[in-house]
Amino acid sequence: MAKDYAHPETLVTTAWVEEHRDDPNVRIVESDEDVLLYEMGHVPGAVKIDWHTDLQDQLIRDYIDKDRFAELCASKGIANDTTVVFYGDKNNWWACYAFWVFKLYGHADCRIMNGGRKLWESEGRPTTRDPEPEYPRTNYVAQEPDRTIRAFRDEVLKHQSKNKPLIDVRSPQEFTGELLHMPDYPQEGALRGGHIPGAASVPWARAVNDDGTFKSRRDLEKIYVKEVGLKRRSPVIAYCRIGERSSHTWFVLQYLLGFPKVKNYDGSWTEWGNVVGMPIEKGTSTQPVG
Amino acid sequence: MTPTLREKAESIAKEFEDLEPRERLELLLEFAEKLAPLPAEYQAERDAGTNRVHECQTPVFLWARVEDGRVQVFADVAPEAPTVKGFVSLLAEIFSGAQPDEVIAFEPNLVNRLGLADALGMVRMRGLTAVAYHIRQKVAQAISG
Repeated sequence: MAKDYAHPETLVTTAWVEEHRDDPNVRIVESDEDVLLYEMGHVPGAVKIDWHTDLQDQLIRDYIDKDRFAELCASKGIANDTTVVFYGDKNNWWACYAFWVFKLYGHADCRIMNGGRKLWESEGRPTTRDPEPEYPRTNYVAQEPDRTIRAFRDEVLKHQSKNKPLIDVRSPQEFTGELLHMPDYPQEGALRGGHIPGAASVPWARAVNDDGTFKSRRDLEKIYVKEVGLKRRSPVIAYCRIGERSSHTWFVLQYLLGFPKVKNYDGSWTEWGNVVGMPIEKGTSTQPVG
Repeated sequence: MTPTLREKAESIAKEFEDLEPRERLELLLEFAEKLAPLPAEYQAERDAGTNRVHECQTPVFLWARVEDGRVQVFADVAPEAPTVKGFVSLLAEIFSGAQPDEVIAFEPNLVNRLGLADALGMVRMRGLTAVAYHIRQKVAQAISG
């Protein structure tokens, strides 16, 4: 039950979204891996934010800066007090990524539509192929980036050397070093395979049910607390290949389980596996986490 | 007269170039929607997981054959991956009906000519270029085999 989660208000149901899609205080945002899915049909009234072309700087490897984030929100009719509800494909993977970027720049009220596109479609709820709606511009003011949710390389190295908990959310084959990229995904450049020594392997999709919704708090605790041994107050860093899948796990740990100190290392394996001299472990993990 | 592969490719590239970025995505979506259903003869192979393009993020299945000296390309792409589907459909259209030599000689950098880089971003462009190389390779195999 949603009410069992640590921050139940961050998850909304598909029914809630259908009721609130014309609510001027709510903005529904679709974020997908596939850039054309929105055009094929989206929740009526939803705007589109693309993880890559909207949220990433196209020159430097980084997110858009504070000013461009503010401009993005203003152009989508998102004000500082708007309730922003994210949903998308692949079990809300990219919805969580967009949610994370909104939290990075301090947006107060962010939520995820539990079940994402998949559940919305399977329930036969309305979709439209209308062009993206235009909403009145706002005077959005973005905050300075919140460093408490973003980890950088040197910090991860320090964290690792003190044996603090790291969660590697990539596929088991990427974790052991057998593959340098997701199974069936294009090779996206890491020179070395393996994982950060001491990291626990918990593929991100273990946190979701077959229908695309998040697992119950009890089932999530079974994985992250009982099986992996995470302690609620420990500082945890999650990483993957470019910081996308790990923003999903970050959401689960921080909002559904209520871990207060979770960071996403967006440099992830495509940084770690390319930097000279970084410690790397291959095969299964040798150290307990906790 | 049948247009050459290069003429077809040039004409499609020009069609994209003449559009606004947002309209380019719409055109790509049109290609996605007109990809012909996979012929029944290939469905069992697809269901068995063969002929899958392993460089590609979504399940993409490709077949190429040469009949009466002309290349035919067949493909199946998951509907939840319309970008890849549109691109595969576009390539299938360009390559189908071409002479095998034209396909082998074709440089699959067409992806960079469609003016989609801004709309899709670099990461996706790399994946799509890989699909283009793969189709060319399939055709080469079909000819030699």
